[in-house]
Amino acid sequence: MDLRLELARAHTRRQFLKNTGIGAIAFAAMLQRDSRAASADNPLSPRSPQFPAKAKSVLYLHMSGAPPQHELFDYKPKLVELHMKPCPEELLKNQRFAFIKGHPKLLGTPYKFARHGRCGAWVSELLPHFSKQVDEVTFVKSMWTDQFNHAPAELFLYTGSPRNGGAALGSWLLYGLGSENQNLPGFVVLISGGTDPTGGKALWSTGYLPSVYQGVQCRTSGEPILYVTNPKGMDRATRRRSLDTLRKLNEAELKEFGDPETLTRINQYELAFRMQMTVPEVMDIGREPKKIQELYGAQPGAASFANNCLLARRLIERGVRYVQLFDWGWDCHGTGKGDDIIYHLPQKCKEIDRPIAALLMDLKTRGLLDETLVIWGGEFGRTPMNEARGGSKFLGRDHHPHCFTIWLAGAGIKKGFTLGGTDELGYFITEGKMSIHDLQATILHLMGLDAWKLTYPYQGLQQRLIGPEGKATIRYEILA
Amino acid sequence: MKPFVLCCVIVASFLVLVSPLRSAEPTVDYNREIRPILAKNCFACHGPDDSHRAAKLRLDRRETALRPRKRGAAIVPGAPEKSLLIQRVRSDEESQRMPPVQTGNSLTPHQIATLQRWITQGAPYAEHWAFVPPKRPPLPAVQQRLWPRNGIDFFVLAELEKHGLKPAAEADRYTLLRRLSFDLRGLPPTPQELEQFLRDRSPYAYENAVDRFLADPAYGERWARLWLDLARYADSAGYGSDPLRPNIWPYRDWVIDAFNRNLPYDQFSLEQLAGDLLPNPTLPQRIATAFHRNTMTNTEGGTDDEEFRVAAVKDRVDTTLQVWMGLTMGCAKCHNHKYDPITQQEYYRFYAFFNQTADNDQPDERPTLAAPTPEQEAQNRRLDAQIAALKTQLTAWPLVAVRALRRTPIPVESLALLGEIGKLEKARPIAPQVPVMVELSPDKQRQTYVMIKGNFLHRGEQVEPGVPAAFHPLPKDAPANRLGVAKWLFAPDNPLTARVAVNRYWATLFGTGLVETEEDFGTQGEMPSHPELLDWLATEYVRLGWDTKALLKLLVCSATYRQASQTTPEKLAQDPRNRLLSRGPRFRLEAEMVRDQALALSGLLSRKMHGPSVFPPQPPGLWQAAFNGQRTWPTSQGEDRYRRGLYTFWRRTVPYPSLAAFDATSRETCTVRRIRTNTPLQAFVTLNDPVYVECAQALARRIVKEGGPSTEERARFGLQLCLCRPPRTEQVQHVMELFQTEREHYRKDAQAALALATSPLGPLPAGMDAAELAAWTVVANVLLNLDAVLMKG
Repeated sequence: MDLRLELARAHTRRQFLKNTGIGAIAFAAMLQRDSRAASADNPLSPRSPQFPAKAKSVLYLHMSGAPPQHELFDYKPKLVELHMKPCPEELLKNQRFAFIKGHPKLLGTPYKFARHGRCGAWVSELLPHFSKQVDEVTFVKSMWTDQFNHAPAELFLYTGSPRNGGAALGSWLLYGLGSENQNLPGFVVLISGGTDPTGGKALWSTGYLPSVYQGVQCRTSGEPILYVTNPKGMDRATRRRSLDTLRKLNEAELKEFGDPETLTRINQYELAFRMQMTVPEVMDIGREPKKIQELYGAQPGAASFANNCLLARRLIERGVRYVQLFDWGWDCHGTGKGDDIIYHLPQKCKEIDRPIAALLMDLKTRGLLDETLVIWGGEFGRTPMNEARGGSKFLGRDHHPHCFTIWLAGAGIKKGFTLGGTDELGYFITEGKMSIHDLQATILHLMGLDAWKLTYPYQGLQQRLIGPEGKATIRYEILA
Repeated sequence: MKPFVLCCVIVASFLVLVSPLRSAEPTVDYNREIRPILAKNCFACHGPDDSHRAAKLRLDRRETALRPRKRGAAIVPGAPEKSLLIQRVRSDEESQRMPPVQTGNSLTPHQIATLQRWITQGAPYAEHWAFVPPKRPPLPAVQQRLWPRNGIDFFVLAELEKHGLKPAAEADRYTLLRRLSFDLRGLPPTPQELEQFLRDRSPYAYENAVDRFLADPAYGERWARLWLDLARYADSAGYGSDPLRPNIWPYRDWVIDAFNRNLPYDQFSLEQLAGDLLPNPTLPQRIATAFHRNTMTNTEGGTDDEEFRVAAVKDRVDTTLQVWMGLTMGCAKCHNHKYDPITQQEYYRFYAFFNQTADNDQPDERPTLAAPTPEQEAQNRRLDAQIAALKTQLTAWPLVAVRALRRTPIPVESLALLGEIGKLEKARPIAPQVPVMVELSPDKQRQTYVMIKGNFLHRGEQVEPGVPAAFHPLPKDAPANRLGVAKWLFAPDNPLTARVAVNRYWATLFGTGLVETEEDFGTQGEMPSHPELLDWLATEYVRLGWDTKALLKLLVCSATYRQASQTTPEKLAQDPRNRLLSRGPRFRLEAEMVRDQALALSGLLSRKMHGPSVFPPQPPGLWQAAFNGQRTWPTSQGEDRYRRGLYTFWRRTVPYPSLAAFDATSRETCTVRRIRTNTPLQAFVTLNDPVYVECAQALARRIVKEGGPSTEERARFGLQLCLCRPPRTEQVQHVMELFQTEREHYRKDAQAALALATSPLGPLPAGMDAAELAAWTVVANVLLNLDAVLMKG
């Protein structure tokens, strides 16, 4: 059974237009004009990119709350030397802080750093497993943003605008490229750490794009997708028989009214029936060999980052275009034991270190790393100063938009490379400044999409991920 | 002059005179054909925004486009070959060709030909249609003269006849009543209401039904729902931790009541925008101003209150112009509007009207207003009376004695009385504190500045309150505050307010607006499908004194609305999206209706109105908001589980999942249009959501109880109840077959039968058989998922 064909039949072009309104007309027109279009009938059918792509899918690991770069990758011996000395006056001029008040003291990292791999990248002792993978990745030590509160910064990173209403990166990719697997959502979100990211659902919202491109949150405990399970007392055979009756009744309706939407509905129920099989199957990591589970440190049934990494691989493997992980708990202010860099941070690092290393190895072994772009990072950086909110004795750092470190790996990315750097305190960027819009344009480029031409008309503007001004640069320096 | 030549001149001038009529080249309409081309491809760099204007060329105005330049003029009327514009769009050289290749835009040969034709015809410009106040057009002539029932139909029929189409026949009574019932009050008709309508053989039967539905309090609930999307009403404050905003529901109730008492649209708007600025405002008028307190509040640690106060004021500006005038102002925050005639300075002048309220992004939402409900007020009155009575007893003592109380021991009786009064005072109900608009006193008023690139920290020039110059001026008697804005919106020369409003009602009933881009009447929006009809309706609404019920009655009584929605391959080919209105509307019910219908058909629906928002069951663990937000969903008990969707607690970052699946919005910002989708996730909701399973179980019990003794009668009853029409034999057959198969199946599995018949609804009613009920539950589950049930036909 060719599911793709079946679904394509389900959406007549007319129907798509009717469902999605005027924006879609322009979209369909674009598709028609565009020889890339595989099928203008189904908005999710796979389309070839605008130019040859390096990556087929994206896996974004987001450390929600913003991890402290000084404890992980951005090694600053000078800062250690000046530990607990007052922060130089000139660095505080015209600066706004979220919490720091008065004159803060510098905070040198308490963790040991060493060079790793052939590339000799600096990584702290908090990430022993990941340190062995540095030759696979490109570090960008010169990321910056203009937002210093969590929600706006996360929105900016994922939708290109710090306010609600924009379309998420994953939605843009589905809009541009469709989905390879019609029995699974093309944009999946997995959450760990017990709390949603601060930006909330808006981070995987389709915004002004048609809602078929919405990210779907899959859960590791309870139902993997809301309401995918039949009611208590109804087995799959009864569900099948009831859907057969439903189809017969709806087909009669179609005959009478001739409304193409009825045909779409009939097919969506059939797709739902198939998803009832595929989704629980893919979400069941118990099906993985013990060895693989152990590699990740995954435990079936738990809601953990390790489980989500393994799930992400299973989803990518099945052609899901964009998988987004959010792991809560990186907002290390140092207001207490629960969010400081001495007690809390090592625990968080432990939760991600092994799974990420396993993920990179596993993807590589399966030949998936060559076609998957993996990104790790937070929404902004953290200050080189100790926050000491309300005189707290616990060590921690405030929000810092001026510099932070992310890393990328996989499809089209240089191996064992570092872009940019910061001053000796890790306060400002000294070279290789990379903006959020640069990152977005580069991701789209790797996926074979032109960030300036991937547009959608809304509210009198050609909307795009990189913003209406289009100020962005593809960072070829980090591309292989 | 030789006679021959003279003759030629006469002939030639005659030809010139009649050419617009005789010419093979039809006259190009600037608004319809030219502006869209220029707006999409040229205005971004050659439009109203002078800060980004390229080559000092401005094409959105005729005089600047015709102005001579070094190498000629962009447009030379009558001479396309001399017009630089044509030369540049036709250029073979990529570096010369317009629009620049980097923009991703390019002109089609057809568009270039249209531009040439337009210039040949003299390049006439016209003002954007929507910025010219509507004039009441005469009714057009039609051939099928007996078809129109009211003015609307003349316009629709004239257009159909122009396209060689005929309207569809009138829908049958079953279809009409169901359509009306959903459109006017968001619920299906009850079997009794259907019976009443079928029996009413008077010529006014349909009108009577319309009047009954308009008088049903459910009418206010249904139309409030639409308004609440515009008002971005929600029960939480938004942003990161999205804390609850548990006291703003009196505003929601105000909207319901305003619709039910048919408050005219101008007054309805005035009270929401500036109720507090009216002389001696009543409590409801002040509650109405919570409209603009539905903006988000950011309580995330370390945020700048001023930054988010500014964001809220901008939202008020955008929402006001969006809701009443169909204008999108987003871009003018940072720079001059590239397409519509609104400069950045004008944006901030308009902003200045809204910049004078006391609220400033406080976690406690102050300023708030105690808004006792009518019940609470009644209770207060009772308490007042009781306390007053007790006080008379107190003061019954001679004044001297009362004075003496201070020194002498208080008599036992008085002590008891005082105790009693204290108790009563404590029994006073706690009124919800509604966030409202409160104007700053004159000495505390803020200065307003242009914000450079929209950044609140970068002040540009100081500005005074004012309206955009492209529109009519502020009325003479209008003060320079929100009250003035409200008066300006409803001034007779406002070109947009009435059009935007009638278009919204139209879109609600017909599925698509006459202007499809309901949210954008500016130059980037779509042209109306029936411009004269839109203007006729707009002027009619004003003539009716903004009487919303009267306008809706006009719409639903038209022959256009009453058409059957069956379509044919021919009509699908000629009028695929029903933009010509060649048939009745047929589209999916909106999210709240899907829920309300399932509850109504199953008999579970509570018609209780008003009050705090409720928490019908949802899957556990969805409220995992960040930081310190409330993390548990306190599931309602009793009838509050079964209230209309409108009353469901609306948390912006975690909207109720079954409503969200059917395209309900997050209400973070004003949403004019819900885009309808058709996805497998919707199927999951109506098949498997325990709320819908419970409805199927209750419907099954209803079928057994009310359907009659035989399987066939029951199948017929269930189908008729859900479809609101007598079922056809084949439908009954399919349902009976499913029932029989499933009864067999469940007879063999008692445990599954019991689970499907009772979980979550509750124990089997006495005398009912589990296998039987389980099988009917399977059937009911199918019925609630029928295309004919989920659609408005």
